Amino acid sequence: MKLIIKNLTKSFDTKKVLQNINFTFEKGKIYGLLGRNGAGKTTFFNCLNEDLEVDSGEFYIEDKEKRELDYDDIGYVLSTPNVPEFLTGREFLKFFIDINEDKIKNKKTIDEYFDFMKIDTEDRDKLLKDYSHGMKNKMQMLVNIIANPNILLLDEPLTSFDVVVAEEMKEMLKSIKKDHIIIFSTHIMELALDLCDEIVILNHGTLELIDHTNLNTKQMKNKIIEALKEE
Amino acid sequence: MIQAFITSFKLKNTYRVNTIIYSIREFPFIKNILPNTLYRNKGLKIFGNIISILIEIIGTFLGKILFLLSLIASIFIFYNNFNCDYFIHIFTLLSIGGGLLNTYLFNPTKDKYYALILMNMDARKYTLSNYFYSLLKVLIGYLPFMILLSFFMDLPLYIALLLPIYVVMIKMIVVNFSLYDYKKNKKATNENIPTKIVWIGIIILLALSYGLPYISFIINSYIFTFIFIISLILGIYSFIKIYTFKDYKKMYREILTSPSMNAIKKNNTEIVKENVLKQIEYKDNTTSNKKGFAYLQELFVKRHSKILTKSAKKQTIVLLIILAIAIISIELNSELNNSINKILLTYLPYFVFIMYLLNRGTTITQAMFMNCDHSLLTYRFYRTPSVILGMFKERLKTLISINLLPASIIAIGLPLLLFLTGGTDNYFNYIILFISIIAMSIFFSIHYLVMYYLLQPYTVNTEIKSSTYRVVQALTYFICYYMINLRLPTFYFGLLMTLFCIIYSIIALILAYKLAPKTFKLRI
Repeated sequence: MKLIIKNLTKSFDTKKVLQNINFTFEKGKIYGLLGRNGAGKTTFFNCLNEDLEVDSGEFYIEDKEKRELDYDDIGYVLSTPNVPEFLTGREFLKFFIDINEDKIKNKKTIDEYFDFMKIDTEDRDKLLKDYSHGMKNKMQMLVNIIANPNILLLDEPLTSFDVVVAEEMKEMLKSIKKDHIIIFSTHIMELALDLCDEIVILNHGTLELIDHTNLNTKQMKNKIIEALKEE
Repeated sequence: MIQAFITSFKLKNTYRVNTIIYSIREFPFIKNILPNTLYRNKGLKIFGNIISILIEIIGTFLGKILFLLSLIASIFIFYNNFNCDYFIHIFTLLSIGGGLLNTYLFNPTKDKYYALILMNMDARKYTLSNYFYSLLKVLIGYLPFMILLSFFMDLPLYIALLLPIYVVMIKMIVVNFSLYDYKKNKKATNENIPTKIVWIGIIILLALSYGLPYISFIINSYIFTFIFIISLILGIYSFIKIYTFKDYKKMYREILTSPSMNAIKKNNTEIVKENVLKQIEYKDNTTSNKKGFAYLQELFVKRHSKILTKSAKKQTIVLLIILAIAIISIELNSELNNSINKILLTYLPYFVFIMYLLNRGTTITQAMFMNCDHSLLTYRFYRTPSVILGMFKERLKTLISINLLPASIIAIGLPLLLFLTGGTDNYFNYIILFISIIAMSIFFSIHYLVMYYLLQPYTVNTEIKSSTYRVVQALTYFICYYMINLRLPTFYFGLLMTLFCIIYSIIALILAYKLAPKTFKLRI
């Protein structure tokens, strides 16, 4: 399965944020999306998630044959976690499972899902309003993973986690990557190099894959910095 | 100091002009025509500056003229005739109240926050120059009207000239007292949160203003002159104290950064969001045995009972009491029968406005967004057409049933009152009264929910961004308000209204079903 982007363009007023993007993302890989502040990483995600309408271009899934993206093809984990604050963690999961009953494969019990995401027993029946930032982020990630979407967009997801949880999440992402296309945006180069199979740079509105064959980490870092610095 | 004033004025002007340009761009369709570079367009800046100056001028005079007009009107109401001494008396006393509630210095505004905290301007220079400017505006704002009054209402000219100066003196005395209080207790007051003592003072001043003339104690021009001299001495003393006060920086750091002042830094929507979040109530027994949409909606209603069911119940109780009072009055005083009967047969349009006021559509949809959709709409599963329409159906049921509770009291009460006050020859009037009220209630529920689903006005940051939504809200208000003045036979108006509600509701629901899956999404 591939996610193919063709000639994607998006502008705000006269500012062209995404310019004619052509790229192919493949299943089984974690892509690290790097870009400077304001480069358009979130805009890119918002376009893929159809929160923003693109000015021109298209994107589709190629899985034996070409098809348009469906609602359940994408899971989008935002940098600021959004959870319905009036529900408890358990209730949120129950609602989600109720609604998506026919789409969830290998359905587990709610507690099994909590265990998978390492959410403590005493937190499961607390209102989400009282969850910490990191816990809300875990819930958001969990809900996006349960439905098993083909594509996972993660916008700076690990920055709010403490080191232990961040490590757990990294392992979790590695464990599920074989069935997904995971695109992971971050400012932190070390994280991208550590976790991702491919590094993609968003600069001047276009995506560029950094070729890392025959490069050690330091050389790779320099190459990325040079690419990002380019005016 | 003049330089500090000019800088702060320019700063205020810049964001005022930017706000004006921003609002212009928010109008429907205009946004697409006008580019972002508008903010550096010189012509528009000049236009914005002219509007800004106009706002400044209007701000100087409008409040004063309204205050003076209502003061004069109140004299006619309370004493049936106008006497200059009444005017001097009430003005003298109410100015003290005004001084307490409107100090400028202790009002934590955005201007001050920007200038003192963000821009780190010299606090003393900024405060004093702007404070004296505000006093100058008070003086200039009052003078022309006072002089006019001296021509038309026999107010002695020297009193007319002294009154504005008196107001300025009072304001300085109050501020000096508050500064003294700050020096002593190290706690700065906030004029927007008056203390109990201030409130009691205001009530006493109001009572003295309007009560004393009844016992023939009036501050006439002679007594006023005496009070003026004292206020002048204290005012000049206060001026020196205010001028030489050194701790403005420290004081404003406290006023502008204390937790209660957070409101200044946040915009209104954040405050609304915080308030709505506070409405969530959670007890262990608030669970639901339902599934899917119904499950979510039931939990939402239970956890927001304060703003949903409880307030509808409160409305219902109040309406029941009003109905009971009406019935008792009719029983006790049969003379009322005729007029009430007439009201019921011609004032139905008035009830459109009442039903508008009773309907809690805006509050409820706001809570739906802030506490539920704001987060869930970021999940794609929540935006599938089947989920959007499923939730829409559940919410429609909730909204209609919540609003029907108080509406049913009016729907039953009106025909009952009609019957008790002598009835009507046309029996359909009873039915029409009942049905039209119920129809109106359902209409408003559908109206608000459909508007919410079709225009979804909120952004990710929970600001209202859709000007179309604002226009529709304003139109709804004006149309309902206009109905107040209509006198139409209940039978025909009720029939038309019911038909309108049915047709509108059908069209709105069809539109919602067709369009909501596309329109109901977060604005970015």
